[in-house]
Amino acid sequence: MQYFLIQVLNGVQLSMLVFLLAVGLTLIFGLMNILNLAHGAFFTAGAYFGLVVANKTGSFWFALLIGPLLPFVAGFVLQFFILQPLAQRGRSTHLDLALLTFGLLFATAGAVEYIFGSAFHSIAMPEILKGRIALLGIEYPLYRLFIIAVGIATALALVLVIDRTLVGATLRAGVDNREMVTALGININGLFALVFGLGSALAGFAGVISAPVMSIYSNMGMGIVVTTFVVVVVGGLGNLKGSFYASLIVGMTDTFAQAFLPEAELFAVYALLIVVMIFRPQGLFGAVGRVA
Amino acid sequence: MSTEVTSCEPRAVPKLSAIPVSRRFHALLFVALAVGLCALPAVVSGYTMTLAVEIMIAGIFTSGINLLTGYTGLVSLGQAMFLGLGGYGIAIGTALLGWPLWVSAPVTLVVVAAIAAAIGAICTRTRGVEFLLITLAFSQMFYGAVVKLRWTNGSDGMTGIPRPDLSLLGVSADSPATFYYYVLAVSVLALLLLWRIVNSPFGSILVGIRENERRMMSMGYAVANYKIGSFTLAAMVCAVAGILQAQYTYFVSPDTMSWQTSGEGVLMVIIGGASVIFGPFVGAAVFVVVKQALSLITDEYNLFFGIFFMLVVAFFRGGVLGALSTLIGRRR
Repeated sequence: MQYFLIQVLNGVQLSMLVFLLAVGLTLIFGLMNILNLAHGAFFTAGAYFGLVVANKTGSFWFALLIGPLLPFVAGFVLQFFILQPLAQRGRSTHLDLALLTFGLLFATAGAVEYIFGSAFHSIAMPEILKGRIALLGIEYPLYRLFIIAVGIATALALVLVIDRTLVGATLRAGVDNREMVTALGININGLFALVFGLGSALAGFAGVISAPVMSIYSNMGMGIVVTTFVVVVVGGLGNLKGSFYASLIVGMTDTFAQAFLPEAELFAVYALLIVVMIFRPQGLFGAVGRVA
Repeated sequence: MSTEVTSCEPRAVPKLSAIPVSRRFHALLFVALAVGLCALPAVVSGYTMTLAVEIMIAGIFTSGINLLTGYTGLVSLGQAMFLGLGGYGIAIGTALLGWPLWVSAPVTLVVVAAIAAAIGAICTRTRGVEFLLITLAFSQMFYGAVVKLRWTNGSDGMTGIPRPDLSLLGVSADSPATFYYYVLAVSVLALLLLWRIVNSPFGSILVGIRENERRMMSMGYAVANYKIGSFTLAAMVCAVAGILQAQYTYFVSPDTMSWQTSGEGVLMVIIGGASVIFGPFVGAAVFVVVKQALSLITDEYNLFFGIFFMLVVAFFRGGVLGALSTLIGRRR
């Protein structure tokens, strides 16, 4: 029972980590119709930049704060100066752009390996989050609870921003009718680039926050990004709330497969995806079928 | 490279669509290729011949992807799974079950076709980027399964895959020149078969699906079945490449199924010009040569693969052959 409870918490923790990645991916897709396969690259970039900051300042909190800045800038530049102009010249379909980001994913992994080598790194946990806490009869690491809390807080903040603020309203309007938003005098390209940057920053944030419990290495983004793809497809591409529920489903499936059925470890998540695709190709939470 | 990029930029096409290559150009190219390829072992060193074998194997793999991506318009990032399934198919057949190669190979193709039809039936329910993600997920699933499976040696892979026994003809397939002719023969056969397919009514329907799926549907074609058919045929061609590759290296490992391999396939399709029948082989040639050159000057293959990939996707639609044929067409 205790083992089971620990696995549940581990599952939620992984879910929240994946959610931080999935939310950016699905937001970018929902708004710009761009499948950003390089999302894992921003996860890696954030983690490594956080590592550099942590090594310089010795502070985890600085790393967490400054680490996501690099992926933010990189995401903004990618959308504003590369993807947007290519899409507007009309020669590149969103499939081409997806393939372009696929190249970026490998280029980033290669660049990181070139600069930092292929060794494994880690960022030290802050003192205050070390140790374990007694909870429902088990001892659970405080830091993992911190990740869970951050994930839930991010989800709530995003729902508030998108449902209740002017920026959120503009974003929703941009999804529905892009020309109309432009006609109202809003710089939609700037807004989209900002959202792309923010989504990338969230991925980088996930990279830093995962660094004390997972290792930092050049290919770290490749594994988790495929799990993230499964999440966004199960949740329905472009569906923000769906991606939250899907994160929980996928995170739980993965954790429980590892704990109780180790042979199926690399298998379970994809089996889940296939079952979902057979019965609901638009995703579990996709209300409207999107002809992408 | 960079000059070619700029020269073809204004003519690049909006999507993976057909570039008209004149028949005369095709015929000319074919004769030149046939003469050159048959005479190759007599004039070049062993290294060049190895390179040629690698290009042809990559070309067959890319041709399979091209049927799906170039002709049917479905961009997959999971075709490496069929490359791997082909290799593992004959590895299991010959090494574990002890079947002779001439039994293992056809059985492998039949099994791959069955698996591909099932996977295709699920994947073709989606389109666009979702299709790309689902095929990627499927190939990752097979990759995960192969890494875990103990009776195929997990991540170490399987060795001792036999080349065909050609002692009846008085030659040994272990010699580079003989293996070269064997791969050449398979390539020509595969190409002829694909040429028949894309020039058949079936091929026209595939192109129709690429150009306007809704119209094909309203004309009464069972679009879903044709897509599954295209998916299955493409998978079988990729599996043939997988068999050849396993024979070439006497070895197959889970790395064959990595999503980088799938990406390389798509890249070769784009370089060669999607939906031109020779395109995949041209794309494979450019890619293999660039890859070899890069490995001479740098260890950071991923970095340059990524940058090369981005440049090709952004500036090089229509590919080398498309650019060449418009050049020739313009001179007349």
